[in-house]
Amino acid sequence: MKYSRLHVGWLTSVLAVSLGLSACPKRTPQTLVGSGSSMPPSSSRMDESAIEAGDRVQDRVQSEEPEASPLEQIYFDFDSFALSAEAEQILQMNAEWLKNNTDAKVEIEGHCDNRGTAAYNLALGAKRAKAAHDYLIGLGIPSERLSTITYGEELPVCNELNESCWQRNRRGHFQVINR
Amino acid sequence: MNLSWTKSRSSLARHVMCSSPWLSVNRAGGGPRSSAPRRRLRLGVWFGAVFLLLGCAATTWAQIRIQIPEPGGAGVPIAVSPLANPASHADRHLAETFANVVALDLDLSGLFRVISPRAHIEQPDEYELDHINFSNWSVLDALALVKGAFWLEGDRLTVEARLFDVTQRKQLGGRRYQGRLSEVRRMAHRFADQVMRYLTGEEGPFNSRIAFASNRTGGRAKEIYVTDVSGTHVRRVTRDRTLSLAPSWSPTGEKLLFISYKRGGPHPFIFDLASGRMARISARVAYTGSWSPDGRRVAVSLDQNGNSDLYLLSPRGDLLRRLTHDAGIDVSPAWSPDGTQLAFCSGRSGNPQIYVMDIDSGKTRRVTFTGGYNTDPDWSPKGDRIAYTSRAGGFRIMWIGPDGGAATEITRGEHPSWSPDGRYLVLSRRGRIFMVSRDGRSSKQLTAGGGDDTSPAWSPRLS
Repeated sequence: MKYSRLHVGWLTSVLAVSLGLSACPKRTPQTLVGSGSSMPPSSSRMDESAIEAGDRVQDRVQSEEPEASPLEQIYFDFDSFALSAEAEQILQMNAEWLKNNTDAKVEIEGHCDNRGTAAYNLALGAKRAKAAHDYLIGLGIPSERLSTITYGEELPVCNELNESCWQRNRRGHFQVINR
Repeated sequence: MNLSWTKSRSSLARHVMCSSPWLSVNRAGGGPRSSAPRRRLRLGVWFGAVFLLLGCAATTWAQIRIQIPEPGGAGVPIAVSPLANPASHADRHLAETFANVVALDLDLSGLFRVISPRAHIEQPDEYELDHINFSNWSVLDALALVKGAFWLEGDRLTVEARLFDVTQRKQLGGRRYQGRLSEVRRMAHRFADQVMRYLTGEEGPFNSRIAFASNRTGGRAKEIYVTDVSGTHVRRVTRDRTLSLAPSWSPTGEKLLFISYKRGGPHPFIFDLASGRMARISARVAYTGSWSPDGRRVAVSLDQNGNSDLYLLSPRGDLLRRLTHDAGIDVSPAWSPDGTQLAFCSGRSGNPQIYVMDIDSGKTRRVTFTGGYNTDPDWSPKGDRIAYTSRAGGFRIMWIGPDGGAATEITRGEHPSWSPDGRYLVLSRRGRIFMVSRDGRSSKQLTAGGGDDTSPAWSPRLS
């Protein structure tokens, strides 16, 4: 289903409001029996979005193919989420593509190599994704077209124990999610 | 589950009376039925009086020749006999299951050398509970012996198990368990814990479980698994074919808090093991979390605009308090056993280090100052040590006092989790789960599942 701008704007503001109201008591959590049962019909768009997001992650996790994307990846130094000059150049090129493809929405993924520990790497991947996200915002890309997710060290593209592989894993990946 | 256990009368008598051959003890179980005790009684009334004074002052174990075992040593030689079934001599499988579970647990403790069942001379049914032929066991060089019996009525199982000192020819303790047939393994784990208590003074950790995340289904998806400590009964908990990570136990061992991508996120979920139900407790992105010792709160590392901070939530996901407010990474909260402090990992100084926060006041201090990468803290149930992962040419498990000071290496590996008795840890090493004694001298591999087994978590004792 293709989202219209109005759709996306509404959805984003719902998300933004709910994040901002995080201090308020949560509504009753959903109860799921196993993973095979169907979700009860839901009136909240956020539930649908959560299911779609879950499906999208599952596809990423299950897919054995290389991560194809019209946007180029950026790479990070060990234990760092700083953007190198080369990364900034790539982000500028990616911003150009996004400006030429105004319907595209992108999920920015932060990844790590496995030389850190898993929980810390989840948080580090989030910082990497956020760094790329903020730079693209700075280049004028509307925030409603961008989302971020961390995968920590969980989705490596290679498993060799050498710097060449580790470098390839320390990446920001730009997944176009609505085509 | 309805387990009740009562000490057999004889063992109670033994412990209470600081028994020795010099005293006339009403032996309901164990010990030779000769006139030797009576002879000795005539001679030994004098000695008995003195011995009572000396003997009762010392601990019970000092009077027997079994030395308190240390991990990594030769181990106390112990024989574990399959249970006898006085009623029908049937159900061999049940008889052997109990013995095998006890034997495996005792082996894992690193404190025993379990004598192979193939060496046993005596058949399980060839004995009466009141008359042990100790020479059948001393000939195998056993110093300790487990023997017992079971009765089965339909689904109702009763097990009586006893621990004997072979050289001194006497019972050191015993237990009776009642429950369902399916609970035989749990009974065995409990008894192994009692054997450790009789011989070391501290109850063992085996009536518990270990949770971990693994991609052993193939590919990159990770599911949550739960196993008994020995790793022989691994049960898959999630079936979401996505990434499920970082399991953490509730204080009763009935629920797991973990991180799942099944709704994008990742988000924190709570899984109830008995019902199989799983619920997301927050729509906020989360990285790790852990339960308070009283079960009333969970500490979770939540995302706030790409930055992670620690929060206190109720187990239903109500936000109670934000704990950290800094721009650095803050993850891996670990509660002190008294529930007043949190150890956690923070990158606020520029690289990840271990910090401790007093929850009420919020006062936070840094604990680790050696090494440039210290993560994954876990607080010992004894309260005196915080174990963590240090990266220094590979991953090592270290421990440090909660007040800081010198850090001590335990062994290679990552993601330490303490046993409920605080004498052991589980960790992962090259994709396998290992159990080590807290001084690192004893190390036993628990899993070999054909995938990457990671982030093990040792549950509290099960009720």
